[in-house]
Amino acid sequence: MSEPNTPEVPPAEAPSGPYRYDLAASPQRQIVLPKTAPVPSLATYKAEVLAQAAADEAKWQKQLADFEVAKAKAEAEGKDAPKAPVRAVPRKDDNDLKTPWPVEAVDPDLLSLQGLLGDRAEEIFQQAGELVCQVKKEAILEALELCRDEGDLRYEMLADECATHYPAGKDFTFSVVYHLTSISRQKRLRLRILIPEGFAPASACEIYPSANWMEREIYDMLGIRFTGHPDMTRILCPEDWEGYPLRKEYPTVGWGQRDIDFREDRGGVLNRIAMTTAGQLGINLKQPKAD
Amino acid sequence: MGVNQPSALEQVLITTKVEKVINWARASSVWPMTFGLACCAIEMMAAGASKFDFDRFGAGIFRATPRQSDLMIVAGTVTYKMAPVIKKLYDQMPEPKWVIAMGSCATAGGPFDSYHTIQGVDRIVPVDVYIPGCPPRPESLIYGFMKLQDKIMTSSLADRYKDIFEEVG
Repeated sequence: MSEPNTPEVPPAEAPSGPYRYDLAASPQRQIVLPKTAPVPSLATYKAEVLAQAAADEAKWQKQLADFEVAKAKAEAEGKDAPKAPVRAVPRKDDNDLKTPWPVEAVDPDLLSLQGLLGDRAEEIFQQAGELVCQVKKEAILEALELCRDEGDLRYEMLADECATHYPAGKDFTFSVVYHLTSISRQKRLRLRILIPEGFAPASACEIYPSANWMEREIYDMLGIRFTGHPDMTRILCPEDWEGYPLRKEYPTVGWGQRDIDFREDRGGVLNRIAMTTAGQLGINLKQPKAD
Repeated sequence: MGVNQPSALEQVLITTKVEKVINWARASSVWPMTFGLACCAIEMMAAGASKFDFDRFGAGIFRATPRQSDLMIVAGTVTYKMAPVIKKLYDQMPEPKWVIAMGSCATAGGPFDSYHTIQGVDRIVPVDVYIPGCPPRPESLIYGFMKLQDKIMTSSLADRYKDIFEEVG
């Protein structure tokens, strides 16, 4: 199935970064970056369906053409005509476990949000009964404010804010997703923005104070800085951490981790480890004694 | 005639080495630190509670400060962010001090062969007893502790300061 977001695949090489990469030392641990950006959207799904239909049609036409050629050949040789092809009909699979595909928005919340946002809403759809609205990255604060304050929306709570890294995205690198919950109306809504590398979206702390730590976590894990955030520092990793662990090019296992380097070695542990290692390697680290 | 009979003095006196008495005292009152990092700490609490009763071996008094502790049971995953804290706690403990690495994570990183986990607490502090398991049952912890008691009983002052003696010459 072809993806509209598929870019040209660059030649494989060690990614550059502040952390240590040793591709030769552990070939089984090389990172395979995804070649497609499977961000769910109605437009993508429609394009997929169209591409699949076109591929099916092309296959069928080729089958017909092959049949005509075979028929003409059989007639010329005086043999029996070959069997006519039958177009395959997709069978219904009762055990189908595919992801539910996006459908057109019918929920009144989404429709009213579309009316309020106008052309600031990039895409609106539903998927598995969940409401999704993708807005322009500059207009996220207005959208959040509308969702919170508008009379028929009233999404009082920002339940979660998270981000995803799409290294194969064409004109975006990250998606930031806002999960809103309306306690009074018992509904949930998802707002999404797609941002390129280096873009700093506006912080939602002013509208939803609960965004504070979530945005710090996003910054910690993916390196997206939010403008207007009161305290844009790391929250999970140590303050002097290098790199952003949830990026796709970050090493998942083994390499990339830092060596422990404490400034003081009061217990003599590091010295002992160094001596042991040197002993295994046959190096004499002991200082020569004066006689 | 009476040669093999203990005298009145021998019936009230025990002759032994000072080192052995000190070791016996240390091994019988090892006070661990109140300090848990992950799920292994739950098993450590179970070992300390009434069903398993760590206190039978003299290790029931979990001290709330490293300055009164003899034993650090590293019970759980050691992350890079936690490593300096553990090192500091270890440095704050008075000599003599011992360390038990409890569970796979503290022993060798466990399942977390990842960017955030130290592959074994022995990278930062010297470990006396390793206890495998994920998490180890309280019996395992008690067995490991008894192994530590054996180690304490067979240790000597000369061993502890052997390196220094060798350096001095």
